[in-house]
Amino acid sequence: MKKGCVLFCSILMFLCLTSAAYAEEKLMIYTSMKESMMGKLRDAFKKKHPEVKMDYYSAGAGKLMAKIATERQSGKLAADMLWHSEVPDFFQLKGQGLFEKYVSPEAKYVKSTVTDPDGYFIPARLGTLGIVYNTKKVKTPPKGWNDLTSPEFKNAFGIANPSLSGTSFMSIAMLVNTFGWEYIQKLKNNGAKMGHGSGQVVDDTASGDYKGSIGVDYIAEDKIRKGANLAIVFPREMLVIPSPVAIFKGTPNLNAARKFVDFLLSKEGQTIVAASGTLPIRSDVPIPKDIGLMSPADAVKQAMKLDYLKTMKEKESITRKFESMMR
Amino acid sequence: MINSRLRRCGVAEVLLVLSIVILVVVVAVPILLIFGNAFITDDGFNLKTVIQLLSQPDTYKALKNSLVIATGVTILSTIIGVFFAWLVSRTDLPFKGTMKVLFLIPFMLPSFIGALAWKILLSPRSGYINKLFTELFGLEEPLFNIYTLTGIIVVESMYLFPFVFIQVSGAMERMDPTLEEAARISGAGLLTITRRITLPLMLPSIVAGALLVALYSLSHFGVPAILGTEVGIYNIPTKIYEKIYQSAGSFESIRTGTILSSILVSAAAVILYLQSLVLKSGRFQVISGKSMRPMLIKLRGLKIPLLILSVVYIGITVILPTVTIILVGTLKTYGLTIAPENMTINNLKYILFDWDLTKDAIWNSFYLSLAAAFVTMLVGSLISYVIVKMKVRGKFILEFLGVLPFSIPGTVIALGVILMWSGRFGINLYNTAWIIFVAYIARYMAFSLKSNSAALEQVHDSLEEAARACGAKHWQALRDIVIPLIRPGMVAAFFLIFLPALRELTTSVLLYGPHTRTLGVAIYALNEDGETVYAATLATVALVIIVLGQLLIKRVTRGKEESLGA
Repeated sequence: MKKGCVLFCSILMFLCLTSAAYAEEKLMIYTSMKESMMGKLRDAFKKKHPEVKMDYYSAGAGKLMAKIATERQSGKLAADMLWHSEVPDFFQLKGQGLFEKYVSPEAKYVKSTVTDPDGYFIPARLGTLGIVYNTKKVKTPPKGWNDLTSPEFKNAFGIANPSLSGTSFMSIAMLVNTFGWEYIQKLKNNGAKMGHGSGQVVDDTASGDYKGSIGVDYIAEDKIRKGANLAIVFPREMLVIPSPVAIFKGTPNLNAARKFVDFLLSKEGQTIVAASGTLPIRSDVPIPKDIGLMSPADAVKQAMKLDYLKTMKEKESITRKFESMMR
Repeated sequence: MINSRLRRCGVAEVLLVLSIVILVVVVAVPILLIFGNAFITDDGFNLKTVIQLLSQPDTYKALKNSLVIATGVTILSTIIGVFFAWLVSRTDLPFKGTMKVLFLIPFMLPSFIGALAWKILLSPRSGYINKLFTELFGLEEPLFNIYTLTGIIVVESMYLFPFVFIQVSGAMERMDPTLEEAARISGAGLLTITRRITLPLMLPSIVAGALLVALYSLSHFGVPAILGTEVGIYNIPTKIYEKIYQSAGSFESIRTGTILSSILVSAAAVILYLQSLVLKSGRFQVISGKSMRPMLIKLRGLKIPLLILSVVYIGITVILPTVTIILVGTLKTYGLTIAPENMTINNLKYILFDWDLTKDAIWNSFYLSLAAAFVTMLVGSLISYVIVKMKVRGKFILEFLGVLPFSIPGTVIALGVILMWSGRFGINLYNTAWIIFVAYIARYMAFSLKSNSAALEQVHDSLEEAARACGAKHWQALRDIVIPLIRPGMVAAFFLIFLPALRELTTSVLLYGPHTRTLGVAIYALNEDGETVYAATLATVALVIIVLGQLLIKRVTRGKEESLGA
């Protein structure tokens, strides 16, 4: 009997533990943004809307999409919102009718290379990618994309795996669109390697495993501010990748999700985005100058072009081709 | 008398049915689902697609890598384990007692944390050791590239050799010395004795330990995931992980996972079968009733060099990685040199107090392993009671189901649990802590059964019968006689589950949801995200928790024989 009682108590305890956090409004965001930016956004959002218990699950775009696919199969989507950088995915999910339409009052301030006229998703940040290099290992800093085929980066240049990282996929699609597959072949001939996620290639560059890599602005920025031996340069043909945010249809936390979109697009939210070292989608927030970020308007002007709908259809084949080339 | 036997039958049947139901739901059905999904498609039994999938280069390569790694690890661990076991039990090596304890430490160190440390030390260009050598000697190529099959094999062996060490040193201490003496009196030299007498006597224990290593390595996730996937080396568990997480969780990828899992289970079954053969044939040879100590071999001039070798080995495999993890965990950012001006305590503060991900992970792992250990301990003692003490028909089903978890790798349990508990049968636990909880119960049930039935076998039936004869009801006899007597076994079972569950990675990495990352998963994810420094900081926290846990065990189970092993 004692045994049964203890068992009962333990189950009760367990129940209490797992359900301790059921209160007020909740919000779960699946995002590819890293802690260095999400942490600050969460803190500020909590301060402004203490009634919402906001949380996020951060992983590469590829993993997020796989998780969403698995969850849809099991019939229960744990996420209320999606925010990552693989723009074609958003067109695709929109086509599948998975998103809730929402036009934020802040939407009119948004400047981006891509928008959804129907209002199912909206860019919340302009990711810029540049050449991240290790300042101890690289003697002559690179200036343009062609410098990556020089002996300076022989066998020591990394590009993140496009099936894991959305920004990496977009970068490859843009580079191919602008310079052709010949350019990727030249990188490969110079011994370029396919790494893991977008964070790991930058960390591997900081450690010196790579001399350089294609890196995301704020990921490099976070490490540079902490004292890493890194620098980032943006070639004239810019990689500008908008990261859209969208609300899932049927979410029980629609109200909280809308609050977050409004906050994210507001001047306050975008100031945090800019301060983290990535470009805001509004032109009325200050840009930190210390790592050489340019104004959003200039970045959009210099951005490499891409047909997103066409890229959506070719996503699989581009990833495959790149992977087979690099292996 | 007849009346009481009838009533006993009633209780027995209830217990039997209850334990069978638990084992079937938690263990059997998920495993059956794996096989079902692997071989049966919409149009019946289907072997063609299975072969098709296996002949794809990436699955085929994963299979090959798994075999190569398992073979390499088994051979290397056996050599290391046998050598050190011989050194501490059959020679006059100084400080033998201490050394014996030291050789068990690698067991405590989670191997994926070891792999993380070795990545930091030996990655080709930036590893601290490689950098040191290239700078000192102006080498063009790195000293050793850890991102290779060899690297994976060496790192895994470092942390798995205690399986062999424990088995063999135990057997060597129990060995009948008269056999060797007889050979010596008949004029045989040391080499002949070792070759013709000692080795054959030790063979069963060596093989038993080696097979445990093979079983573990075959289904090991952590080390290949950290050292292999970055350069495209996959084994079966990492391939299953990749299939499920990267190629979108489509049915096709889950099916590939189930097929690969079926292979793992079959391989494990073969290994277990071999093991039972070996144990059966070797049992009577090793155990001797006498408590005579075997003759010790005098090392003479080799005494000090061999002691130094042992200490250096421990230093390289345990202390160096641990210190690396702790130091890197304090760096401001990865890639800086380890120097006081580059260190900070902020990482620790951030991990423990500010970052939800890491805070949650510590808490999740703690309560999940606590709850799983507690429930598994109780259910395990119930099932063991039925197996060991009760004479009821249908018991063999329980015995079979009880052995099953021994052979099921963690990856397979995770897949089975996904198939079972993600809504197909009315209950959807996907993304909740419950799914990890049921997986842990299935994974660790074998530990609990082993420990509990060992304790129960020592309780003689006559004690319980005496209580019943004095008029005690069945449950009274249980409460007042049996449970107090097997309590040490239950406590041992609790800790045997609690500690491994605390650092679990292989199963939870396939099951975690946005709120339910475990300690192991969080460390792995941080490393994957390029937050090497935070990964090291969290690993330091994990190591501290593990050491504290071990000390606690020592206190609680002091004086009792250590029952490590599977």
